[in-house]
Amino acid sequence: MSKSVLQLPVIERAEAARQVVRLTLQAPEWARAARAGHFINLLVPGRRDLLWRRPFSVHRADRSRGTIDLLVARMGRGSESLAECAPGDHVDAIGLLGNCFPLEPGLLEIIMVAGGIGIAPFDLLLQDVQGFSCKKSLFYGARNAGDLCRSTLWVESGAEVHLTTEDGSTGSRGLVLDELRRYLGSSGTHAGRVIYGCGPTPMLAALREMVLAFGIKGYVTVENRMACGFGACVGCAVELAEARRDGQKYLLACKDGPVFPIEEILFHD
Amino acid sequence: MTDLRVHIGSLVLDNPVLTASGTFGYGSEFADFFDLDRLGGIVTKTVTLEPRPGNPPPRICETPAGMLNSIGLPNVGVEQFKLEKWPFLSSLHTAVIVNVAGRSSQEFADVVAALEAVEGIAAYELNYSCPNVKEGGLSFSSDARVAAEVTARVRAVTRRPLITKLTPNVTSIGEIGRACADAGADALSAINTLVGMAVDIRTRRPRLSTVTGGLSGPAIRPVALARVYELVSRVSIPVIGIGGIATAEDALEFIIAGAAAVQIGTAGFVHPDAALRVVEGLEDFCRREGLANLAQLRGSLQL
Repeated sequence: MSKSVLQLPVIERAEAARQVVRLTLQAPEWARAARAGHFINLLVPGRRDLLWRRPFSVHRADRSRGTIDLLVARMGRGSESLAECAPGDHVDAIGLLGNCFPLEPGLLEIIMVAGGIGIAPFDLLLQDVQGFSCKKSLFYGARNAGDLCRSTLWVESGAEVHLTTEDGSTGSRGLVLDELRRYLGSSGTHAGRVIYGCGPTPMLAALREMVLAFGIKGYVTVENRMACGFGACVGCAVELAEARRDGQKYLLACKDGPVFPIEEILFHD
Repeated sequence: MTDLRVHIGSLVLDNPVLTASGTFGYGSEFADFFDLDRLGGIVTKTVTLEPRPGNPPPRICETPAGMLNSIGLPNVGVEQFKLEKWPFLSSLHTAVIVNVAGRSSQEFADVVAALEAVEGIAAYELNYSCPNVKEGGLSFSSDARVAAEVTARVRAVTRRPLITKLTPNVTSIGEIGRACADAGADALSAINTLVGMAVDIRTRRPRLSTVTGGLSGPAIRPVALARVYELVSRVSIPVIGIGGIATAEDALEFIIAGAAAVQIGTAGFVHPDAALRVVEGLEDFCRREGLANLAQLRGSLQL
């Protein structure tokens, strides 16, 4: 699908968690084409001093309504402004950008690992795998109960959901990777399993070690800073674990990713 | 219909709007967004003799109305450029200017020599001035004598139009521009990025892996305009204005100050069709003002 710049009407705005707003945008073509991992790049309204667009994973797609949802976490001045968008407003968006999580046939279990706002692509992933008969497990960690973005899709998709919070206010107390380690350690074979991760960089770095130690196939989606989102600025470099034969040491998060095989890349804070 | 054509040495551009090197890839990145043939020309990402991987991340950082970058000229090298990148560029009708860099004046000449057999290259732009490459880079255009030597070495291997791109990180850009003009440059382009820096106060680490980088975007436009104005007063060859230009109004400031053409860079990251909008805005302006051509406007600054 070719990339384009669109003015998208905001249809709905809802509080998804304490510091997270869910925006529903009218975008029929993107709703049809979006798969988990794809992102769009939004201009910050009313802030000409904030130069760059802000990238957001497509969180959910309603193909019959022709809408897509985004989760906008209030992280800084750009996301603060975008979180204030209301029905009737338009947002200036470039899309669809990036690649998506590869879904291979014959999987026995899909394990999603989300830290904080890293939950964003996994509603869409649950939609993508609705027809799959394999087991679906979601490991999702946040600081506390109020920070969790809950989804009706968890029940609808039949996913097994493991929640963790740092203060123990919901689910088990601790970090999402502690829970994942217990789960992987207590179940026998890892054949047919695939892990998909999204979250803060330190979490992804630790996830990489765990996935390699258990010998499980894994993919992550990264969110490096990017000036453009479509391969022109070359700013969102991701370091390869091993340089290619032609000397190439970096890939681009926007164009080669944002989804990468976890063993192929290194994480920097 | 206004005649927007511009002469850069023997090269005739349909209009004065080019894309700036390092911000427009090799053209194909923007092909989804608009018809590239509406541009006056495309300046490619820098090509070097050998492939370069570029700098480690983090490479970019947003700053007020601008950004810092330290990309480090990643590119596939001149031989792969010819095989991988040129086929798409050569399919375009717009002028394609290949930006080149080297670690020595000899290497500049070698890259250009390697491109001489490629048919259809409209001109070369010499990237003396990338602040993010350790060897050479800055030094080539911070010393008038060295800058002139590089221009002369390249001049000796090509008859194609030569544009020398200058850094603002010097005491007298006018002197250096003058030396390059005397050494055979057909045009000058200015400015490259300004050296800048930002710190993450939480980690106390610089926001770029190379500590300092190049500042671009609307924040630098007034600085760029002053440098371009200085160059125009010092040389008789065309000067191509670069630096924070995002709209036709911005471009008109440079043209009124005497620029022959302009390049659009950082703006295209945010609005991929920014350069096209500048072309259309110039057409509208000339129509409204009843101008038959841009020469009536160029250098018309009222003092």
